[in-house]
Amino acid sequence: MKVDLNWLQDYVDIDRPLEEICNLLTEAGLECRIVESGPRVPEGVIVGEVISVENHPNADKLSVCFVNTGEKEPAQIVCGAPNVAAGQKVPVAMVGTSLTPDFTLKKAKIRGVTSNGMICAEDELGLSEDHSGIMVLDESCEIGKPLNNYLPKTVILDIDLTANRPDCMSHIGVAREVAALTGKSLKIPDITHQETGPDIHSLAQVVVLASDGCPRYTARVIRNVNIGPSPDWLKKRIEAIGLRPVNNVVDASNYVLHETGHPLHTFDYDKLAEHRIIVRYAEEGETFETLDHKERTLSRNVLLICDGKKPVAMAGVMGGLDSEISDNTVNVLIESAYFDPPTIRKGSKQQLLSTDSSKRFERGTDPNANCVYAQDRLASLILELAGGNCAKGMIDVYPKKIEPLPITMRFDRLKKITSLDISPETCRTIFESLDISVQSMDDQTINVLAPTFRPDLEREIDLIEEIVRIYGLNKIQANSRLQFSMSETVDPLNPFLNRIREIFVGFGFHEAISNSLVSQDMANAGIWGYAPVPLMNPLSIDMNYLRTDLIQPLLHNLKLNAARKRQHVRLFEIGRVMEKDPLSETTVREHQNLGVIMCSDMWDLHWLRSPAPADFFFGKGMLMRFLDNMGITDISLNNTDFHPDPYRIFMDITSGKIQIGKIGEYQPEFLNKYQLEYPVVILELKLDVIFELRKEVFKYKPVSPFPSMTRDISIVVDKNMESETLMKEIHQKGSKFLKDVVVYDQFMDDRKLTPGKKALSYRLWFQSDERTLEDQDVDRIMEKIFNILIRKYGAQLR
Amino acid sequence: MTLLEKINHVRDQFNTDLERISDLKSWEELKNTYLGRKGLVSKLFSRIGDVPPQDRKTIGQALNSLKNEIQNQVDSLHQTLQEKVDESHDVDYTLPGFPIFKGSRHPLTQAIDEMLSIFARLGFDIAYGPEVETDWYNFSSLNLPLNHPARDMQDTFYVDEGIMLRTHTSPVQTRYMTQHKPPVRIVAPGRVYRNEAISTRSYCMFHQIEGLYVDKNVTFADLRGTLELFCKMYFGPDARIKFRTSYFPFTEPSAEVDVSCFLCKGKGCRVCKNTGWLEILGCGMVDPNVFKAVGYDPEEVSGYAFGLGVDRSVMQKLDIPDIRMLFDNDVEFLKQF
Ligand SMILES: [Zn+2]
Repeated sequence: MKVDLNWLQDYVDIDRPLEEICNLLTEAGLECRIVESGPRVPEGVIVGEVISVENHPNADKLSVCFVNTGEKEPAQIVCGAPNVAAGQKVPVAMVGTSLTPDFTLKKAKIRGVTSNGMICAEDELGLSEDHSGIMVLDESCEIGKPLNNYLPKTVILDIDLTANRPDCMSHIGVAREVAALTGKSLKIPDITHQETGPDIHSLAQVVVLASDGCPRYTARVIRNVNIGPSPDWLKKRIEAIGLRPVNNVVDASNYVLHETGHPLHTFDYDKLAEHRIIVRYAEEGETFETLDHKERTLSRNVLLICDGKKPVAMAGVMGGLDSEISDNTVNVLIESAYFDPPTIRKGSKQQLLSTDSSKRFERGTDPNANCVYAQDRLASLILELAGGNCAKGMIDVYPKKIEPLPITMRFDRLKKITSLDISPETCRTIFESLDISVQSMDDQTINVLAPTFRPDLEREIDLIEEIVRIYGLNKIQANSRLQFSMSETVDPLNPFLNRIREIFVGFGFHEAISNSLVSQDMANAGIWGYAPVPLMNPLSIDMNYLRTDLIQPLLHNLKLNAARKRQHVRLFEIGRVMEKDPLSETTVREHQNLGVIMCSDMWDLHWLRSPAPADFFFGKGMLMRFLDNMGITDISLNNTDFHPDPYRIFMDITSGKIQIGKIGEYQPEFLNKYQLEYPVVILELKLDVIFELRKEVFKYKPVSPFPSMTRDISIVVDKNMESETLMKEIHQKGSKFLKDVVVYDQFMDDRKLTPGKKALSYRLWFQSDERTLEDQDVDRIMEKIFNILIRKYGAQLR
Repeated sequence: MTLLEKINHVRDQFNTDLERISDLKSWEELKNTYLGRKGLVSKLFSRIGDVPPQDRKTIGQALNSLKNEIQNQVDSLHQTLQEKVDESHDVDYTLPGFPIFKGSRHPLTQAIDEMLSIFARLGFDIAYGPEVETDWYNFSSLNLPLNHPARDMQDTFYVDEGIMLRTHTSPVQTRYMTQHKPPVRIVAPGRVYRNEAISTRSYCMFHQIEGLYVDKNVTFADLRGTLELFCKMYFGPDARIKFRTSYFPFTEPSAEVDVSCFLCKGKGCRVCKNTGWLEILGCGMVDPNVFKAVGYDPEEVSGYAFGLGVDRSVMQKLDIPDIRMLFDNDVEFLKQF
C-alpha cells in the first residue's frame, strides 16, 4: 500500500528522520520502504551563484557571467537570458553534462568568448515548458550541490501490510500507528457541511433484506453537483498513490477511501429506479454486468445492491455500468456500508473478482465511527469540490449495533509470554495511543474495549501483541543462559537416510532433488504401478500429477543432462512417491524411496584402462554392496511380470519374501532416441521396508588365525544353467571350511566348446578356525563338489 | 643341535628369506638380520668359544664361508634391486592418477542436515509429517478456519476436497502435539508446495524446517535465545538477529527474523540488497487456539514455533541466481558441492 508522506502529515506531526519512522513501522509490523519520486535532472547540473554580469563584447543579447560553482576559480559562462543578474543562485550545467541523450555540453567559444558551462532555464532541464528566462533558485540552496537536492520530491512509504491489519489500509490508519510509535497525537479533520436540501427520506429509501450480509447501510444524497475536473491538490494526491484522476466526485470518493480506509460507493441518483436501494442476495443464475464489462452469472451467496428494479452493484466488490457517475450526473447518492467479511469473501471468490474494495471488506472494516465519518467526509468534500446541496440527514439502516469487544489482559500473562516487565501505566498509555479505550485497571489486570476498526483484537493474546509491538519487540532480550527441556528421544530415520546418502556419494553418485509434480504420462509410467494422484488445480499440464516413482523424474533429469551433452550421469534421490489410497486419512499413501539412475562409464576416460560402460551387473554389484552394508540378507532377483516396454532387464528384488525394490536396464532403442552413449541402469528401493529390515548391530565373528587355501575349478555346463544354482550347490558341499566362492570367468564360444554349452570358472577359498588345513583336507572336499556338479548338473571339468 | 647344524639351519633360513625380498627397504632389514652387529651370523661367531678346541678350525671355516656366502648374495641382490629402482625412473609419474569418481550431496540436503545437527545440539528431536495433508492439519488446526483471508497468503494445490499438498511444515506441529504430551521440542524438515508461477525466485516446491518448543513457562526471550544461538552456529559467531512484528495465524506475537548479512557483516552488499540484513525465518509464540485444537491447556503451557525457508538461504549462501537450478539436477551443477 502506498502512503504519501505529505498527505500523512495532515494527520500526524513527524519530527524524526524518515528512516527512523520507517524502521519503527517495520518493527511494529508495517513493513515499510521509502520510495521517492519527482522530477530529476542530470547529475552534472549543480547550484551556482552569479558573481558578475557583463555585456558580451560582440553580441547585444548575450552577457558574460562569472559564476561561483564551488570550484577555486569562478566559471566564465556566456548566457542569453534577459533575467540573469549578479547575486542569483542558478542551476549550472557543467562541461561534460549530457542534457539530452544526444547533447553533451562542451567547452565552447560563443562569438569569440569562452563559455565553460550553461546557466539553464526550466525547459532546458525538462522541468517545465518555461523558456522565459533562466531558473532562479532559492537563496538557501548551497553552492556546488546537485540541483536534484532542491527539486520537489514526492515521498511515498510503500507498506507491505499483513492480512490482519485492514485498519492500516489508509493514511489515517498509518498515521495512528506513527502517532503511537512516536508519542504524538492523531489529528483527524473536522467535518462541517451544510444540509440545505430536503429530508433525505423524501428522496430515497433503503431496504436491507440481507442484514446478515449487510449489517449496516448508510446513504446520503447530494443534488445539483457540477461534475468536473478535480483541483490540482487533489489530483496530485490521487496520482501520488498511483491512481488516475477521473472527476471531482470520483476522485473525492477515492480520496476519502485512502484517507479513512472505508470503501464508499457513489451512484448516479437519477439512474436508480424508484430511488430505492435494496440489499439482497442474488437469485441462483441471476446475471449482472459489472464495471469491467463482464456479464456475470451469480449464485445465491453473492450479495447485491439493487435499485427498485435491478442490481446496480455487487456489494462491496464492484459497481455496475448503468449507475456509474458520469459527466452528466447531477444528483449523487453516497453509499457507506458495513458488509460481513465472509460474505464478501465468498462472493469475490465465487466470481474470481478481487478488488481493492473487496479486499478491505473481507478483512474487516469499521461498522461504527469510521463508516459514518467516511460518509460525512465524502459529502462535505463533494460539496466543497462540486457544489450542490446536501439532503437533510442520513439514511442509516443498522438494526443490530455491533458493539466493541471488552477484553481483559492480565499483567502476569504479559510477562509470562514476553518476559518483559512493563508497568501497568505504560500499558495504559500504549492502548490509549492506539485508540483502544481503557475501561478500568488494577495492579493485576486491565480492561479495555477493542475498537470496532480493529477486527484483529479479540483475545488477551492479541492485546499482549499490541503492547509488545509498540513497546518494541527487540527490547525482548535473550536470557544469558538458556534453560529448556531436552527432547528425550532421538530420531533414527535421518541418520539412516544420511548413511544411504554417504554410501551412494561414495559410489560416485550425485544427489538429485526432483520436482514431485509430474505429467500424467510420467505418473502412469511409474514402475510400481501405483494408482496416480492427480491435482485438482495444477500449475500446468506438465505438472498435474504427483510422482508415483523416482525413476521417471530421474529419467527426466537424465534427458536434460543428455541434451546438455553431460558425459557421465550418475544420480540418486531420496524422496517420497505417492499412491492413491482411499483408506488413508489423506487419500494418499506416501512411500519413502531411493531412486538411482546411471548412464556412465565405470570410470572417466583414462590412459591406464580402456573405457567400460557400467551396465546391469555394475548396478547389481552396487545393489548387493549396499544391501550388505544395511545388513540385509537372503536376497533374490527375479524377472517381474511388469514389463514396461523400454526395459531390457527388469527384476524384482526381494529379501526373503518381502519385496524391497526393482532393478533394470533400458533397451538400446531407448538409448538411440536420446543419443546416450551408455546403457541406462535404474534401481529403486523401498526405504520404508529397508529401514525395518536393516540390521545395524552386527555380532562380532571370530577371525581365523590360520592361513587359507585356494582352489580354482573350471566346468562346462548347459548355457541355460544358472550360475547362482551352481554356486549354492558348491556352498552346500563345501563344508564349514569353504569361506568364499567367486565366479571369475564366463566363456561361451561355440567354436571352442560344444554348441549350447558354456564354461564357468570359480575360485574357492578354504580355511579352518582350528588348524592349518592340509592339501588332502581340501582335496577331499573338492572331490565332493566335482561329484555333485557332474552327477546333478551334467558338468564336465575343463 | 650342534653349532654346525645351526650354521646349516641359518643358511636355509637365509635362502628362504632371500626369496621374499623385493625392495631396498626389506633388503636393508635382511642385511641387518643376518650381517648386523647383533645379527644371526655374529651370534654364531660368538658361540665359537663353546666348541671343543679340536673342532674350532672346521667350524671357523664353515662360519666364514657362511658369512661370505651371505655377504655375496646380499651384495648382488642390492645391485639387482638398485637397477630396478633406476629403471623405474623411466616411468612418467606426472601422468594423471586413476580417476576415482566424484559423488556429491545436494546442497539443500547438506544445508538441512547442517541445520538439523545444530538443532540436535540445542535439544530438538526430528519429527516428520506427510506431504499430502488434510485441511484440518494444514489450516484449521493452525487457527486458519475456512474462509479466513490469511489462507490467501498460501496458494494451495488441492488433491481432493479438503486434501492438499502441505503449504508449510507447520502441520507437523499439530500432528506431533496430538500424539505427544508436553514438553515437546522438535524440528521438522520437509518439502512444501505452493501454487505459484515458477520464476527465478519462486518454485512450486521448496523446503522448510519447522521448529516447535512447548513447555511450562516458555517465553519470547527463550525463542530469541534459541534463534540467536542457532544463527551464530550456522552463520558464524558474529551473526546478529533482529525481529520485526509480523502476522501468522498460528503464532502470536508473530515475527520475521532478519540475520546480519554473512557476506558484508551488515555493511550492505548485493546479496542483502544493501540493507545489511537477510530475512531468514518467521516465528512467534504458539497461538492459544492451536493449543486448544490439539488439547493442550494454554493456561498451563506456552511455546514458540518457527519456520525456516531452506532454499532461499542456500541460494544466498552459494550465490545461486535461479531457484530452478536446484531442481534441474544438471551434473555439472551438482558435482560442485
Ligand atoms: Zn550483505
